[in-house]
Amino acid sequence: MKTHRILITAAFALLCRSLLAGDAAAPARVNTLLPEEPKPACCAPAPKVEKKDACCAAEPKVAAKDACCAAPADAAPFSAASLYQTDVAFTNDAGKAFRLGELRGRPVVLTMFFASCGYACPLLVTDMQALRAKLPAEVRERAVFVLVSFDVERDTPAALATYRAQRNLAGDWVLLHGDDDAVRELAALLGVKYKQEAAGGFSHSNLITVLNGEGEVVHQRTGLKGGLDETAAALTAMR
Amino acid sequence: MKLRHHLSLLVAVLALSSATAVLGAGDLAGMRTIPAGTYEPLLRTKLDAPQVPVPAFLLDERPVSNADYLAFVTANPKWRRSQVSPLFADKSYLQHWAGDLEPGPAAPPDAPVVRVSWFAARAYARWAGKRLPTTAEWELAAAAGYDRPDGRNDEAMKRDLYAWLARPVPAVLGDPANLRPNLHGVRGLHGLVWEWVDDFNTAMVTGESRADNGIDRDLFCGAGSVGASDTTDYAAFMRAALRSSLKAPNTTTSLGFRCARGAAPLTASTP
Repeated sequence: MKTHRILITAAFALLCRSLLAGDAAAPARVNTLLPEEPKPACCAPAPKVEKKDACCAAEPKVAAKDACCAAPADAAPFSAASLYQTDVAFTNDAGKAFRLGELRGRPVVLTMFFASCGYACPLLVTDMQALRAKLPAEVRERAVFVLVSFDVERDTPAALATYRAQRNLAGDWVLLHGDDDAVRELAALLGVKYKQEAAGGFSHSNLITVLNGEGEVVHQRTGLKGGLDETAAALTAMR
Repeated sequence: MKLRHHLSLLVAVLALSSATAVLGAGDLAGMRTIPAGTYEPLLRTKLDAPQVPVPAFLLDERPVSNADYLAFVTANPKWRRSQVSPLFADKSYLQHWAGDLEPGPAAPPDAPVVRVSWFAARAYARWAGKRLPTTAEWELAAAAGYDRPDGRNDEAMKRDLYAWLARPVPAVLGDPANLRPNLHGVRGLHGLVWEWVDDFNTAMVTGESRADNGIDRDLFCGAGSVGASDTTDYAAFMRAALRSSLKAPNTTTSLGFRCARGAAPLTASTP
């Protein structure tokens, strides 16, 4: 097993150095690269995002929203960094079509999960609930908490409605079902990695993402422990 | 990956027959049938199936070319270099093209298009009425030798593959027509560029492959230690590593794509 890992590491090191720079290197270089590239998984640079209006933003489809707290969404194009540029469609747990752009104007806390998950997802949802409780009232009243399921087969809108009841999730929680295309695209936008396992469950990144009113990622908490104060601060800071 | 042995054949037959029924022969031009088979993931944890059945599907005979991609950006202005959103493609997107609608000398019409992001590749596939192949599909197609189903025993193919890996990426890529087709009639799976797959963002190998300690375990739900089924398949290691190092907006000078159609991906809900 150790040999395998070394090989994997070697491949990483080689690729991060050579492929992303655009040159396929000789296998012989593998070993010499090892000590220089201790963190190969992180070396794909995140694209620098410029603040400018995208000429290509999808037409925002404004649907009915909670009248009490939603800022009115206008027809202006989404910003260049806005996740709401994606045109993928989801269905909420009431069975209604839902596009992410409908969240425009509200602070969003978004996590990908699956309802039958036995380990991390219950903790992630508990953390989101704890986060919600931490928020100053005026932030909490505007915020929306979104759960999007990896499990396109089992987490139907009805299954998500059951999950909502089991977890006592109030009206400011949005539970979304999507097809494989939609889920894969959202995961790619968030940087979430996932994979269905032989038994039907999913390996997945544990990631809580905060979006501002424009749908831009302003904060991500990775892992399962701590960091909620920073997440709450990120939500409170955006006004 | 859910095992659906008994269903896969039926699904494959239905998908292919409906594909051929709906499309004219011209629409299938340039695609080859990859017969149903079994993909053995190179890297897997104890939670992954050792063998994944893959229904038959259609795969482009060659990677998407600059000429193909020019037609796409001509029809879809938001994917032109000057207009693409930074959310969907990084700064090196189509940088080797002479202009928005002018591939130019560094991007010959028949050469594979590179410097395209996963989002762009997906959008092209959708526009073309196709989709990106899954990892399982791509690897199954690429596992064939020139004249036999298992390329691992094809010395000629292995020689060509490793010769390619040892060469730097040329400034101007060649025409895949010059590459020998594999058993399924598909060209250039090895030998020209790396290719995007639809599910590149699987939770397989990142930090946890080398350090399965508590901290890393918290980053992934279900992450176990990763083992390899065939440690001699160096090229497959490289592909797995490349996929896991990429982010969806990334583009590189050696990364292109080709499209598939037919049987749905195993993880998709049944249509």
